[in-house]
Amino acid sequence: MNLLHLARRNAWRKPLRTLLLIFCVTVAFLIYGLTASFLNGAQGSAGASDDLLGVMNAAGRTQPLPMAYMTRIASEPGVASVAYMTRLRGYVNVEKNVVAISAVEPGLIAKVNGKELGLTQELVSALGQARDRVLVGRALAEAQGWSVGQRITVTAFQTARKDGSRDWRFEVAGIFEGESANTDTYFMLASYDFINAARARGEDTVDAFVVQPADRVSPGVLAARIDALFANSPTPTRTQSEKQFLEAFLRQYADVGLIINLVVSAAFVTLLMIVINTMVFAVRERTFEIGVLKTLGFSRGRILTLVLGETLFIFAVGGTLGLILAKMAAVLAGPALGLVFSMAVLAKAVLFIVVLGLITGLMPAINAMRTPITTAFKAR
Amino acid sequence: MTDRHAEARYIILKDVQKGYRIGSEAVPIFVNLNLEIPRGDFVAIMGPSGSGKSTLLNMLAGVESPDAGEINIGNARLDRMGETARSAWRAHHMGIVFQFYNLLPMLNAAENVELPLLLKPISARERRIRAGKVLDLVGLAGREKQYPALMSGGQQQRVGIARAIAADPDLLLCDEPTGDLDRKSADDVLDMLRLLNQELGKTIVMVTHDPQAALHARRTLHLDKGRFIEEKRDA
Repeated sequence: MNLLHLARRNAWRKPLRTLLLIFCVTVAFLIYGLTASFLNGAQGSAGASDDLLGVMNAAGRTQPLPMAYMTRIASEPGVASVAYMTRLRGYVNVEKNVVAISAVEPGLIAKVNGKELGLTQELVSALGQARDRVLVGRALAEAQGWSVGQRITVTAFQTARKDGSRDWRFEVAGIFEGESANTDTYFMLASYDFINAARARGEDTVDAFVVQPADRVSPGVLAARIDALFANSPTPTRTQSEKQFLEAFLRQYADVGLIINLVVSAAFVTLLMIVINTMVFAVRERTFEIGVLKTLGFSRGRILTLVLGETLFIFAVGGTLGLILAKMAAVLAGPALGLVFSMAVLAKAVLFIVVLGLITGLMPAINAMRTPITTAFKAR
Repeated sequence: MTDRHAEARYIILKDVQKGYRIGSEAVPIFVNLNLEIPRGDFVAIMGPSGSGKSTLLNMLAGVESPDAGEINIGNARLDRMGETARSAWRAHHMGIVFQFYNLLPMLNAAENVELPLLLKPISARERRIRAGKVLDLVGLAGREKQYPALMSGGQQQRVGIARAIAADPDLLLCDEPTGDLDRKSADDVLDMLRLLNQELGKTIVMVTHDPQAALHARRTLHLDKGRFIEEKRDA
């Protein structure tokens, strides 16, 4: 037997209470694991690059930029390559089934961002074989059940065709995988020329330019230089890294990170209150035995360690179960929901387990540590 | 007990004062209490309720501090020690046997005996071996895995004694060790204490209400109104 064994035996003294506490902790860390995986995953921006720059209209990312900017940006020293794109948002079949289309020039986007998206030469060629073809990201294809050769219809929210219809019909030319599980593949790539020619408004404008800085060129410095180029023009620009852009893109609907952090914080605060309250009562029930241990020679430090060990045990078991469930969810539903349970998520969760275990155990542990033996013996 | 055990003065209480307060009124328990117990002695302390027996035992255990005076046990000056030092002293030099055994219910017999050994720098294997030996010594070999709830009072008290001597302390304090036992079990426990005193040279201080229990000790001190009023040496 050792001190940890003793703490474990104390924890299992009332199995139902301990199981309920472990269940609370499991649920809290399952919520944490899922939300952190979501933020970290394809719906988030962890896979986005800090090196790629996006040039957008300073007035707002929904405002267009003239295509003519392309030449000036490309000629700026420090720019390795430039691509352009227009985003088209719409839905398939039902309005809540939202999809996004990036209308691009295939060759240019492959040069700038092809490696990250997993755009092979075959895929780029396939996209170029007909004007109405699209390349679909793996996550989106799996979520929608699409396959190569299938014809799909996307009803745009805003981008209307010249004939007044908002229905855009495409043929799936291929599926791009993304460089890693972190890469956002929940969208499709269409030909800019097709969209540009068919849309009713905004001809020869783009939503953004994607810039790849040359080697040893600071993205931040280059971003400032590009914005300076258009500072006095009628349409000034705002240049951000892809990561900043994606984070901002998500925030245009809601501050997802903030909402998730609030949900997780609420779960953790509730959990803390439940566990602290229960542990205070559990330790108070044992005041007499703590007096016995002190009489045997257990120091204040050992009593503190014993109670903290007990809460850490509960958090370790519950937290591990919660994280295992979150990992399983990420493995099973990861591509569809954009969940990526990375080592960073795991490390942060383990840190939370230790810190919360210590915080919740501290109050009952200090109470137990401070109780004089004579007072403890009166508790029987 | 050998003469060698009785030679040295082991416990010395010098002009010990102790009292408590009821509201604003100070109620003295001991006024200049003096006591000397040689190493290896077996002393029974008797007295009516409220005479200060438990307070004296608590002070000898370092659980309570005197208001004034000295408490020396071996080389330790208990009245000058802080709480941490007293905990360490208890862990290494003192074992205690309680009236109601005070075993931890979620631990089996061997694990209860191992508790004081957790405070010693020894391996888990050595702790297990030592707990087994001590349980064997108190006649509970084969009951290592048994939980207190499934043991008789006498057996539980034997586990309590095994726990008290597991760390091989010099001093054994017993607080009414037979108070919750039938006569037969009480005699077994008292025989065991006498054995520990005679064979292993443990110094034992036992608080008891039971005159028959006191007969097992080498001498009996009667405490009344904070003073020892009678002393009987064993023949």
